[in-house]
Amino acid sequence: MNRLARMLGSLLIAVTPPGTAAAQQPATPPGLARGLDLERQGNFAAAAEAYRGVLGARAGDPAALLGLERALVPLNRAGELVPVARAALRAGAPPAVGYGVLVRTWGSAGSADSLRAAVEEWARAAPGDEAPYREWVSSAIGRGDRAGARAAIAVARQRLGRADALAPEAAQTAGGEGSWTVAAAEWLAAIRQMSGFRFAALAMLSPTPERLRPDVLRELERDASGEGRRLAGTLLARWGDPVGGFRLMSASLPGDNLQAVERLNQFIEALQLGAPNTAARQAQGMALEAITARVSGGAAARSRMLAAQAYADAGDRESARRMLDGAVDSRTTGSEASSGTGAAVSVLLSEGKPEAAERRLEGARPSLPADEYASLARRVAWGWARTGQLDRADALLRSDSTVDGLAVTGRIALLRGQIRNAADRLRAAGPYTGSREDAAARASLLALLQRIEADTLPALGRAFLALEQGDSAAATVQFGAVAAGLGAEHGGAELRLWAGRIDLARGRVAEAERWFRAADTEAAPATAPAAELELGRLLISLGRRDEAVATLEHLILTYATSALVPQARRALDEARGAVPRT
Amino acid sequence: MKRREFLHAAAGAAAVLPVAGLPGLRWRSMAPWILVPMDDAQTDHLKAYGLAYRALERGTRVEWFINYRGGSFLLPAEAATARDAALNGIATEGIDDGRVTRIRGEIQQGNMDAVPLEKAPKVAVYAPPNAAPWDDAVTMALDYAGVKFEKVWDPEAMGGKLPTYDWLHLHHEDFTGQYSKFVLNYAGAPWLSDMIQRNTAVARQLNFPNVPAEKRAVAQRISAFVEQGGFLFAMCTATETLDLALASEGVDIAAAYADGSPMDPDAASRMHWDRALAFQNAQLELSPTTPSYSDIDGHQVNAPDRRQPLGSFTLFGFSAKIDPVATMLVQNHRQVIPDFYGLTTSFTRRTLKPAVTILADEPGAPWAKYIHGEHGQGTWTFFGGHDPEDPQHQIGDAPTDLSLHPHSPGYRLILNNVLFPAAKKKELKT
Repeated sequence: MNRLARMLGSLLIAVTPPGTAAAQQPATPPGLARGLDLERQGNFAAAAEAYRGVLGARAGDPAALLGLERALVPLNRAGELVPVARAALRAGAPPAVGYGVLVRTWGSAGSADSLRAAVEEWARAAPGDEAPYREWVSSAIGRGDRAGARAAIAVARQRLGRADALAPEAAQTAGGEGSWTVAAAEWLAAIRQMSGFRFAALAMLSPTPERLRPDVLRELERDASGEGRRLAGTLLARWGDPVGGFRLMSASLPGDNLQAVERLNQFIEALQLGAPNTAARQAQGMALEAITARVSGGAAARSRMLAAQAYADAGDRESARRMLDGAVDSRTTGSEASSGTGAAVSVLLSEGKPEAAERRLEGARPSLPADEYASLARRVAWGWARTGQLDRADALLRSDSTVDGLAVTGRIALLRGQIRNAADRLRAAGPYTGSREDAAARASLLALLQRIEADTLPALGRAFLALEQGDSAAATVQFGAVAAGLGAEHGGAELRLWAGRIDLARGRVAEAERWFRAADTEAAPATAPAAELELGRLLISLGRRDEAVATLEHLILTYATSALVPQARRALDEARGAVPRT
Repeated sequence: MKRREFLHAAAGAAAVLPVAGLPGLRWRSMAPWILVPMDDAQTDHLKAYGLAYRALERGTRVEWFINYRGGSFLLPAEAATARDAALNGIATEGIDDGRVTRIRGEIQQGNMDAVPLEKAPKVAVYAPPNAAPWDDAVTMALDYAGVKFEKVWDPEAMGGKLPTYDWLHLHHEDFTGQYSKFVLNYAGAPWLSDMIQRNTAVARQLNFPNVPAEKRAVAQRISAFVEQGGFLFAMCTATETLDLALASEGVDIAAAYADGSPMDPDAASRMHWDRALAFQNAQLELSPTTPSYSDIDGHQVNAPDRRQPLGSFTLFGFSAKIDPVATMLVQNHRQVIPDFYGLTTSFTRRTLKPAVTILADEPGAPWAKYIHGEHGQGTWTFFGGHDPEDPQHQIGDAPTDLSLHPHSPGYRLILNNVLFPAAKKKELKT
């Protein structure tokens, strides 16, 4: 089954109205229960016999008919279903079940004429119902026959007298064919019929090629109901402009607060699916602030704190402060105190105010769970460390003997230039402490420190401190100075590679290139392949493909046993245009 | 040497190969030869073809040991070859003269042969200028393997440029000029509008009344290219429509949207099949909305009433010493390969001309997958389907990344075709 058919299948399952699996189901008859058991065991032949037994007694039993279909299809005996389904219909089986089985059976057999006849018969038995046509379309899509699907949709619309009939199926077919603006219009029609299609629309329109996105946004914004603008806003957020997306969607929020909050929460969920960058956190803060204005009591306090946290993460201190100031009155105890303190500590630390953060933390200590307090204390300690007050930082962590504590004290030791001490602590913290990013950063630091023979290097500590304080330009200069005093094989080359990565992350590509070239020395064979790989990728990104090819070829040929060779070959293929860019 | 002037084999393959220690062999190692295994020991089958091709480009003589370890290559152990293999992650084995002698003995005794490859063929891909590089299996295979090629299209074909190439591949073009018969079903799609605009413009530029007439003229140039000794390789719908275009001189087989007049209802009976390369006596699809041309294609992927499911196809085993060309074209480390759809997926046996060689088929099915034949002094090879690693390929699908399929047996068949024109033809023993 192709991707579109699978998507359609999952979508149809997703939008099946709740309650169809009735809450008050009668006890399963023994024959059916036996069939289900046999199905679970994978004994489809016996299951089919069990279901036939039930149908022998009650020819119209829908559960037994569907069970028989499930059992016969994997046995490649679907053809036996036709007379059984016919008998079931004569005995009063619901048309959706009896004809549904017939349509699927003819579809899988590739018998287009019989399939169509069954659809027509079903449509006569259930006039005005989309189900017969939907099954027809599903069958066509399942065979990868988009033209057939479109033809079936056209017939359905003509027969039902509704231009928006089978809109979700039409939307997916159009999207699959690359007709994205048509797909957008169809999705809007689908959402108007059932709001639950919002998520499907978002998921299916997200892959719109970049050059066609403005057309899709224009199509959606034409919708007068506001639904289109809200969908456009969410899509815009997914496509890299979350703040612009929020502004677009928030301008057309429903007047009803409950509905507006629902849409805002959907927007936040959509943001959480994307990359967790600053713009996304800013947009999240804006959406949470908009929710705060529409709810009251504890809910308002919670969303206010979350908004403050999001703004703080995004570096928007003014907005974070505004949220926290408003929280004074609504702040309560318990979990809200925890999230409130967390947000306040984050904001204060982001403002470079560890003293105020510590005061806030100590003030809230009686209402905080111990592990929450310890976690925040580590953050405050790191806040002290970043200001250079390392003693204050250590003081806060004196009683913290956890692996998380070791990870932080290791980094503080590094800021002091205590190379051995830092390496020991970071190693003891292990590979799983903290977030994945923390763990990766720790492993990277350890790789650097292990190459340095000196026990202490205060200048290196100062370089890392400059880096933590955001002065990456000074940090790279200091890394270079420290590197100059070390042999290439004893950390000098690794420090230059480190400096290059910092410059690259800051967009200083010329400096990054210089560092990578400096780190690429045969005297440091453990570092040189990594430096060449970084350099090769940088050159590809700059469009200097010939140089990239030469660099990557040198890596592969000179360091043939390096673990980086497969990555280098992949980059080499990209540089040569031998594979699509990823 | 001109490509048509195949030389007869000399005393034996070994005699034409350089010997370790002679000038030109700068790579000093214990082993004077490099064997590129093409069985399961190979780490990148597709790039291995590029290795052989580039060696030929450098003027190095290569031997293709057909049917030996999946169709392995033997090259002198030159530094450039060793470097190329290392860069591309291609498995090689350094072997000495004694081992080479033993391999030759093994080849002599079994259904195998050593085919000297002499010259890197000059490759052209027929594709419109805006063709996405990732929407054609051959272009992808050539790019991935590192085989150089040039793109040509209608102006170059009509301008007489084809004879300057050895090997020509046809992108999945519709030579009946009906835009793959997508016009009614995909009306309004930007890619289709662009295709129509581009083809109409070039037909006008070349002074043809409509696109079907212009495409037929291009098809005739391609046929002439083969007749004069060129090697033609086509996949997907280019196979079927090329022959339909060639056979339809004076017969309107195009729908009204393509040339302004409806298809001749008696077209099938008026076709000149003697002008076609591979097919004969096909029934034509009369509906302008059904994206199918005739019953040449066995699978009919876009005709719901006739569509056949995918199975797998099996490569034929040929006698390497008696029929080296067919043997070269089926070199592989797998003999049974999963099938894949294209606008033309397969070739109904009933419509094949008697002289056509079937290289692969689905046992028991009424169609072949991979066929070959001669036309004048040249040869053609047709391979049904669109992308061997994307069996259900649909418009707009993500491009296939061949670095994820370095052992693709389907793509190997494409690359066999690229190398086989490099072979020095041996005198047939029958």
